[in-house]
Amino acid sequence: MALDDEPRLGCGRSIDRIWTTVDQPPNAHEQTCGQCQAARSRLRSLREATQSLRESDVHNTDLKPRSGVKSSIMDVARAEIRRSRRILLASNGNGTTEISEQALSAVIRLAAAEVHGIHARRCRIEIASASSDSSAGDRPSGYPGLVGSHLVIGLRVAVAPDINIPRTVESLRQRIITAVPAGVGISAGTVNLTVEDLYDV
Amino acid sequence: MSEIPLQSQVITSKLVASLAARTALETPGVLRLEPTVQGFLARLGPAALQRLYNPASQDGTYRDDGVRVSINDNVALVHLDIATDIAYTALNVAEIVQQRVRENIGHTGLAVGPVDVTILAIEPPPRARVR
Repeated sequence: MALDDEPRLGCGRSIDRIWTTVDQPPNAHEQTCGQCQAARSRLRSLREATQSLRESDVHNTDLKPRSGVKSSIMDVARAEIRRSRRILLASNGNGTTEISEQALSAVIRLAAAEVHGIHARRCRIEIASASSDSSAGDRPSGYPGLVGSHLVIGLRVAVAPDINIPRTVESLRQRIITAVPAGVGISAGTVNLTVEDLYDV
Repeated sequence: MSEIPLQSQVITSKLVASLAARTALETPGVLRLEPTVQGFLARLGPAALQRLYNPASQDGTYRDDGVRVSINDNVALVHLDIATDIAYTALNVAEIVQQRVRENIGHTGLAVGPVDVTILAIEPPPRARVR
């Protein structure tokens, strides 16, 4: 027989159940059961007291965090998101240098924001080994890259309806190819762009 | 009665962390060190956090916003989380930070192990941000 640790009244009704329904009208049993009516009455008083305390805490200025605390928490939260995925840029006797995907993505988005008629949307960054990507030979050189691998950037964009799409997208590609080495210090690798939508000007 | 020399530790991981953080922040192109949950909690209750993370050793790993330092066998190991200015090349900034931190910690007499740097953000400087 399973043990039932739930506290119950003499009539067999669960006190927890009465507590959760204390704000609702009494059911048929509770309308006639003296024990349930007494319990409801006492629990209503308790509920009012706890509700009063909760509301008091909400409006108590002594319990409000200092203004700097909230912004500090948000700074930490944003930084934790940036820590999500990291890409190894360099490793030598001095130590390693990594970059978060968020930081790299920010450089690409800032570059896209400078191109008229482009709204950057989703940005994906992958690391491809040199041997696994047939387009590796096309990537620009002259910058230190990721040893034995290179970036594959996938950016989806929305464009203004009045622009020349092929010309603007090519301009965006060149902007990214310039911005990543300048801002990060590595080659942009392969830049795949997808126009997925038009936006209203 | 034999005499046993006492081991003394003058250079603590907290001191090295402070030195590394200040050096990083003085490097052109570094906007800030990125905050961590540990650093935030340390400000709220450093004693409690010390007990939580490091109950036995005062000279073990020290964590604060954007910097983590441990000293093992007189070798300092440093990790920095930084945000850099978009006007600078982040990889170059990180390499300069590594060199400067190594030089400055070396002045304490400690050997310097790897100084690992993670670039968590690349942004325009605050005054240049579009509102």
